[in-house]
Amino acid sequence: MTKKRMTFLKELLPFIGLGGRLRLEWISSAEAQKFVKVVTEFTEQIRNLGPNPLAKTYGDSLDSLDLAPAPSEATGSGCGCGCSKAAAGA
Amino acid sequence: MYRLVPSVCSYCGTGCGVLFEVLDGQLLKTLPLKTHPVNQGKLCIKGWNLHEFVNSRMRLQSPLLKVNGRFHDVTWNRALQFTAEKLKGIIEKYGPDSVGVLVSAKITNEENYLLQKFARAVVGTNNVDHCARL
Amino acid sequence: MKDKVRDWLETGKVDLFLGYKQVDGHPLPHAFSKENLAELGELIVSPARYALEKLATEILAIKPALKIGILGRDCNQRAVNVLTVHQQISPGQIQILEVNCCPSPLRKHAACSTLQPQTYGAVKLELGVDNNMSVAQMDQFDQESLYSRWMYEFQKCLKCYGCRDICPVCFCKECSLENNDLVATGGLPPEVPLFHLIRAVHMAGRCVDCGLCEEACPVDIPLRLLYRKVNGIVKDLFGYETGGSHEQPPFSLLGESTPPEAEPHSKAV
Repeated sequence: MTKKRMTFLKELLPFIGLGGRLRLEWISSAEAQKFVKVVTEFTEQIRNLGPNPLAKTYGDSLDSLDLAPAPSEATGSGCGCGCSKAAAGA
Repeated sequence: MYRLVPSVCSYCGTGCGVLFEVLDGQLLKTLPLKTHPVNQGKLCIKGWNLHEFVNSRMRLQSPLLKVNGRFHDVTWNRALQFTAEKLKGIIEKYGPDSVGVLVSAKITNEENYLLQKFARAVVGTNNVDHCARL
Repeated sequence: MKDKVRDWLETGKVDLFLGYKQVDGHPLPHAFSKENLAELGELIVSPARYALEKLATEILAIKPALKIGILGRDCNQRAVNVLTVHQQISPGQIQILEVNCCPSPLRKHAACSTLQPQTYGAVKLELGVDNNMSVAQMDQFDQESLYSRWMYEFQKCLKCYGCRDICPVCFCKECSLENNDLVATGGLPPEVPLFHLIRAVHMAGRCVDCGLCEEACPVDIPLRLLYRKVNGIVKDLFGYETGGSHEQPPFSLLGESTPPEAEPHSKAV
């Protein structure tokens, strides 16, 4: 189910202009090297994309309205679907 | 037993057309009236939930009169009599301009007309205003 | 058409028939029944569309023993299929009398009842998304432009919940859009783009592309385009044809058969 949903989201996000910020990998606790490799790669990829536009716009619109509950964690990460392991936004 | 009743939204002065779903005399849901020239099949969140206040348990169903700090259910006759006496007393004591009449977007044009007539002809004041004149 | 409905009502094939009737100049949905057969003369096919299958489903939720007939265009048919797949109605509870999509000599079979596509102002075309565009046309924008265009559209949202309330296939008792952890209350615009993306994701394998949400949207957000894309993905990845298939959709947890796994796709991100 996770795989299906993530494959689906990977197609949907580029449609609204948030492509390349989502990745799903299965890494066992014994695969330290793979973990390092994946995180390094993905961090690099995210850094090249620049800051998450979502966090900025969302923060701005709240500031200007001045009724801000603190932006939730979800807006800071790549997708907000709780897959924090692989989808850490820069 | 199942009917769809066209009506006009009772919230603000815009006057959006709505359609009520009625099943066995119970209001089920509100829909926007697609062909209405005002809202053209669109509604705001209040309009979409019009049916909720109709069926609400909190809804007042008879006039309330405050006696000794507590509200009591009274008949319409009693309520109107009480209001008339109070108004009369105030007008006699302080003059007609001590009374103001606020009318509503939720009632018909004709009722609004009657109320301004009441204010001008019966009470004798020009203090009339309307909630849709925002 | 009228004879057929009369026949259906008289033989008891349906207890109630939802069609349209002209009332005070407005074509309105109307319930025809055995008791008022004389009214059948006023039965019309309305150019304005209402989700008759949604009305029928709501009646059936209260009176499950009834059998209801509706006038159905293609979108009504698809919605009834989806409602059956999601077990909101049993097969046969809603009988459809098929009518031409558009009661018009101009176009015999259109995508929806809107004959003339709406035209939009220059600002929306420059900054936002033209509601008449196709998914393929959207691909010509780059990521940055896509993002700003969609955000322009989403930020107009009034959070009227009209898209959900009018949707024939939105039947959940608990809606994610009313979950405080997902969509905070009290703010306008609602949490963009989460509000719209939550709805978009839930429309995967469910949306029947009837376009009622877009018609009901007070601020013209191109919802139909978004949901078309969503269903396009579902079709590309899982081969699932929403509204035509009688199997559980790919994201469903119900049913005995396991839906197919995602197939490898060419457009890797």
